[in-house]
Amino acid sequence: MIRRVVRALLIGGALATWRPVPLQAAAPPASAVVQDTVGYGCVICHADKRRAFQLGVHADRGIRCDRCHGGNPKAFALPAAHTGRFLGKPSKVGTALLCGSCHSDPDQMRQYGLPAGQLAELKTSRHGQLLFRGNTDVPTCTNCHDAHTVLPPVDARSSVYPTNIPGTCAGCHQNKTLMARYGLPTGQLVDYEKGAHGTALFERQNFAAPTCIGCHGSHAALPPRVTEIVHVCDRCHAELGRALYRGPHGQPALSGKLPGCLGCHTNHSTERVPPERIAAVCTRCHTPDSPAALRGVEIQRRVVQAMADKQAAEQAIEDLVRSGRQVTDERFRYQTLITDYQQIAEVQHSLDLDQLDDLRLRVGSVSASIRTTAERAAEQRWEHKLILIPVWFLALAAVALVRFKFSELGRRGE
Amino acid sequence: MIAMRKWIARWLSQFWNDLKASTDTGVLAVARFVGLLYGPIDGQLRIDEALRKALRYRLPGHVSWRHALGGITYLLFIVLIVTGVLLSFYYRPSAQEAYPSIRFIVSQVSLGWLMRDLHVWAASLIVIAVLAHMARVFVDAAYKPPRETNWLVGLLLLFLVLAFGASGYLLPWDQWSYWTVTQVLDTLSRLPLLGPIVVGVLRGDSIVSGATLSRFFAIHVIILPWVALALLGFHFTLVRKHGIAPPKHEVAGTAPSVPFFPHHLLRSLRVALVVLAIVISAAALFPRPVAHVANPYEPPDQLVSTWVPVDVSLALIRYLGPWGLALFTLLGVALALIPLFDRRPERDLRHRPLVAALGLVFLLGFAGAWLVGRQVRSVLPSARSGEPALEAGSVPAEPGVVLPDLGPTPPRPADPAPAALRGAQ
Repeated sequence: MIRRVVRALLIGGALATWRPVPLQAAAPPASAVVQDTVGYGCVICHADKRRAFQLGVHADRGIRCDRCHGGNPKAFALPAAHTGRFLGKPSKVGTALLCGSCHSDPDQMRQYGLPAGQLAELKTSRHGQLLFRGNTDVPTCTNCHDAHTVLPPVDARSSVYPTNIPGTCAGCHQNKTLMARYGLPTGQLVDYEKGAHGTALFERQNFAAPTCIGCHGSHAALPPRVTEIVHVCDRCHAELGRALYRGPHGQPALSGKLPGCLGCHTNHSTERVPPERIAAVCTRCHTPDSPAALRGVEIQRRVVQAMADKQAAEQAIEDLVRSGRQVTDERFRYQTLITDYQQIAEVQHSLDLDQLDDLRLRVGSVSASIRTTAERAAEQRWEHKLILIPVWFLALAAVALVRFKFSELGRRGE
Repeated sequence: MIAMRKWIARWLSQFWNDLKASTDTGVLAVARFVGLLYGPIDGQLRIDEALRKALRYRLPGHVSWRHALGGITYLLFIVLIVTGVLLSFYYRPSAQEAYPSIRFIVSQVSLGWLMRDLHVWAASLIVIAVLAHMARVFVDAAYKPPRETNWLVGLLLLFLVLAFGASGYLLPWDQWSYWTVTQVLDTLSRLPLLGPIVVGVLRGDSIVSGATLSRFFAIHVIILPWVALALLGFHFTLVRKHGIAPPKHEVAGTAPSVPFFPHHLLRSLRVALVVLAIVISAAALFPRPVAHVANPYEPPDQLVSTWVPVDVSLALIRYLGPWGLALFTLLGVALALIPLFDRRPERDLRHRPLVAALGLVFLLGFAGAWLVGRQVRSVLPSARSGEPALEAGSVPAEPGVVLPDLGPTPPRPADPAPAALRGAQ
């Protein structure tokens, strides 16, 4: 009885002294679930964890300290608090299993629209394989997601927000001593930043560009196998993949005799092969005077020509704009040119010279028609200069007449 | 009906008489030909007589080429008015239509390109002509009493020319004009006290927008022309009232006076025709290119200046910084104000060394900055900061985020409670 009264007094006092903590504006609104953890004895010592925890989504879902750490949250002194099913700080494996105890349960995850396969996926990944063998170098859930501030991937503060993912992975994969133990390179982030994907992500904030997990997977992280490379790339570059399969490189790539896309492009820096270097790339595998290398030269010639035609069309439109011409029609024709030009990028993966020729000619003819318009306008502008002939003729004639008039006035002595 | 016919007959006979009267070799032949001028009205107003008196005016003998600069300025002003009115037939002062209408003028309207480029070139040359005119007056010390009022009016006219150019600069509504005006207004708004107020009135919006365009257009074609006409009238009246300033060195009886008609008029005609031919040549040979349409969301890669004062300012800012521009402007203002305090009768430049040196520095600086400024392709500071340059460290190297500090921890639960709990155990 006394204990019950004391507890009532205690909770009443706690509620009376409780003041709402000023949360960040971005923090999710308070749900109907009781928000405060002040009544929890845990926060007497672990105030920093409380603050971190309140920023995350778990706080809104009614999850409290004891759900993961066990113990007695209603106790206010140390020996009593750390009793019962007390876990403290779980081990790495323990963490994975602990998170999985809820996150592997489709029944619980359904309400949040979350997948429930993360633990199973983790077990297939290199990280997971080593983890469950007792390796402590590999990350567990809380190394990529913060243990207390659990934020959804759409939250820009999250370590798994698209622009933060490369940094999150690099946290370990840039560590030379750590990676040396497993014979892994450490330059991936630097390569990625420079590459097409990194530029798209960081400079243009294009979240359609893949981060590390786009190709390697997140929980099931593994480097793609040789036969898988084309499939990984063609998830986004579908047209290029289809063109590759059509061509002579297709079958060897699918059967693993060629390293797929990586034969010509690199993995993390995902470099584009510039048109003027196509033939040089072919000679990485083919001897320079072999028919295959010669075909590379032919492809390069066509692609370079198409690029020059495209740039000439762009310059012509710019010239037309500068001279104040209406360019709606030219811009429209330029769109058809770009459509063909982009197909060239696709068709060159199939190494089909006839199709390339067809596209190159189409690009060339549209470019020529735009340039003709620009040249005609330039001629008209040049004709404007002809006005100088009558103007100066009239001006000089008038000056001469004035001179005659003056000499006449002089003769008359005025 | 009969009365009507009689009236027409009377008017026709009057017109015929006027026509006959105007066939004599009088100077007012053209004016008389209009009919009404040399009719009953003339008898009351003596216009004919006034004009004859004006034409009989004689100019002092020392008037030379150097005195043509004011006239050239006036000629350029007339060119600007004529081309400006013609442009306004087609120009539409709205954010949607301004740029297409400019494009229409230069590509579709016959001789529209000439009108636009003449307007652009005359706007630049008038600044140079005004400064040259002022330099002539300055060197000759023609501003000394009793002509100091006219120097003041001239100064106002200089500001007017600059105001005309500044307000006209936005009207093409292309990227260059839009972002130059944006930059200038941003800079002005940082001036203390009056800056934000003046910019607020000029801009009429939080960014340069259609509202700004309407205001600039109104200032350019409605407000300023009337002020200019009034000031020009005053300026010319004072010139006529005081006459041309006497030569610096009185050498009596060297040059006989020159009659206005036909001698001076012919001289003026000769200069005017050559100046016109030069302006037309400049317009035909160096047309002002059309930039892309103004886009408030994307600064251009480059700002190309199309007006002399902008050239000069760009060069000064680029190589001397904003303080260089401020000091140069201050030098100009000081030079302009000197005549208001310099009342000694000494007029020879050799006896005014300080003034001469300052003037020379300003003129050389202006000419140099102009030449350099033509080459400067400025890049907006905002364009530079807008480009997300990928620097080392811009990618978070550490996983996770730094948690914001939420301030002090909320107070603990009531103190006696744990003790009470312990006591209860």
